[in-house]
Amino acid sequence: MAADTISVIKLHDVLMVTVPPDPDDETVSALQERVLQTMERHEAKGLVLDISTVETLDSFFARTVVETVQMVALMGGRTVLAGMRPSVAITATQLGLTLGSALTALNVDRALDVLDGTHRLGDVSDDQ
Amino acid sequence: MTNERTGEVRIDSESDIVTARQIVRNTAIAMGFGVTDVTRIVTAASELTRNVFRYAGSGVMRWRMVNACEVLGLELTFEDYGPGIPDIKRAMEVGYTTKGGLGLGLPGAKRLMDELEIESEVGKGTRVTVKKWRR
Repeated sequence: MAADTISVIKLHDVLMVTVPPDPDDETVSALQERVLQTMERHEAKGLVLDISTVETLDSFFARTVVETVQMVALMGGRTVLAGMRPSVAITATQLGLTLGSALTALNVDRALDVLDGTHRLGDVSDDQ
Repeated sequence: MTNERTGEVRIDSESDIVTARQIVRNTAIAMGFGVTDVTRIVTAASELTRNVFRYAGSGVMRWRMVNACEVLGLELTFEDYGPGIPDIKRAMEVGYTTKGGLGLGLPGAKRLMDELEIESEVGKGTRVTVKKWRR
């Protein structure tokens, strides 16, 4: 898998990256680098990592994500992981993975709300 | 592939980790494991394959359908002629790592799978065998 399959999209002042379903280690590392380069160039306030198609979240991936979250935070941004699959959440927890200070959201829409500050915790009411 | 009950994947490069994952995923799905169990098995395989590559540089993963009292299971064996594990007990501790990893691979694989066995000798190599039974 070529590392240049990673595309970083800029939505206003937020970056969005869609992670491919089964990224190899090189792609995962390239993702981190692309994100940081793009953050520097566009002074984004936040990053949404769309992991809704990711089927395997092993410790290498998790470690790179946690590092990326920390790096983005050092550059003044916040990261939200969007769309983690239930099977991945179950497995990651059993593996002992925690995701550091990364925020999470059920999907990309909510992730953008979180970064916008328009998301209220405990809000059960759904899309009207 | 559909009628195979056993197979082997050489682990020589980083891309073999993905190959191993995909073969394990396809096999587990074909065997009728549920979504979450497939994810558990693939994640364990990913950790153990990466261990082989990282510590030994090369090795092999073998997979095998097994049967016990009419219960179907998937057995994965990871073998290398690498440096071996000096202290297996420590290696099984959460957070213990000698290569800057998270130290979750071996204890994690043990939790994700139903059975895990390690045979290792310093200077000779390592063999990790894991099994998951289909409920």
